Amino acid sequence: MANSIVETVLSEARKRNARSVLEVQLVVGRLTMLGLEQLRYCYRLLTKDTPLERSKLRIEQEESRVHCENCMFEGPIQFKQEPQYHLIFPTLECPRCGGGVEIVAGRGCFIKSVKLRT
Amino acid sequence: MRHKEKVVKHDEGKVFDIELEESILKANEDLAAENQQLLRRHGIKAIDIMGSIGSGKTSLIENIVQRLKERYRIAVFNGDLTTTIDADRVAKHGVEVVQINTGKECHLDANLVAKALKDVNLRQLDLILIENVGNLICPGEFKLGADRRLVVVSVTEGPYMVLKHPFIFMEADVVVINKLDHAEAMGVEFEKLQRDTEKINPRAKVVGASCRNNIGTDRVIEALQIDSI
Repeated sequence: MANSIVETVLSEARKRNARSVLEVQLVVGRLTMLGLEQLRYCYRLLTKDTPLERSKLRIEQEESRVHCENCMFEGPIQFKQEPQYHLIFPTLECPRCGGGVEIVAGRGCFIKSVKLRT
Repeated sequence: MRHKEKVVKHDEGKVFDIELEESILKANEDLAAENQQLLRRHGIKAIDIMGSIGSGKTSLIENIVQRLKERYRIAVFNGDLTTTIDADRVAKHGVEVVQINTGKECHLDANLVAKALKDVNLRQLDLILIENVGNLICPGEFKLGADRRLVVVSVTEGPYMVLKHPFIFMEADVVVINKLDHAEAMGVEFEKLQRDTEKINPRAKVVGASCRNNIGTDRVIEALQIDSI
């Protein structure tokens, strides 16, 4: 994923004859598997000796939203607790009717904007 | 005589803000949708089979193939980092197999499946079983274009596997709890894993099995509802 991000920005930078990239604004959904710390770490490694080196990676988190076809509930994904293991986990159970909900937001990962120096 | 100094001044350049809205995951989703359309055009149903390393994905596939090969013309795609061990196992059952070696990637993606689809004669198939790379994390993120997603989890992985990996279980239409013949020795209850799955995803169908002993295969096939795809 980090590689795709870096490649996408590099190709944009090349297209615009940019000398360096100053900032990359990324949006990451809360329901993706992406760990932000690992993502930042990989970004640093991958951008070394490229025009992206020293660029600032800003990450905005996209909130989750689910929809229940049964009772028309719409809201953020719910979490349940398992006190025995001190665990909080997300659930697709509808908080209103107990049915299954669909995820409508929070699974995206996109580059919102980049700041380039020509 | 004094030289007129030539000074090359550092050019600060111009700074541009560019709106991109370039989606990173969408490329895979678009390709997955193309795979699905291609399969639909040929009337082929596809199932993405995910689960940990050693959970019993290949054994389950062997059992399903054995049961359904007279009813459907089947192909199996086996995803692994390397080797053709799984593909060789499945090939013994007389169906077409394609080994997808990812090299270093821990999951299959729509691009790898698109390539495998070029390796088979789509006109001669009704059902494709896609065995994902053994992993309970990344495969969930990458859709392949399959009609159903199945996750295999075995009792030998311990009692916490479902709760520890909620995201992949959210993706599942069917969850197979395998190796039930070892449940007692492991001190893991089928009902606990079933309850954990239902807490995360109330729509997933949970089926118990012992793939090595060919137990539970019919229930898995029923839960997949292949004919209603």
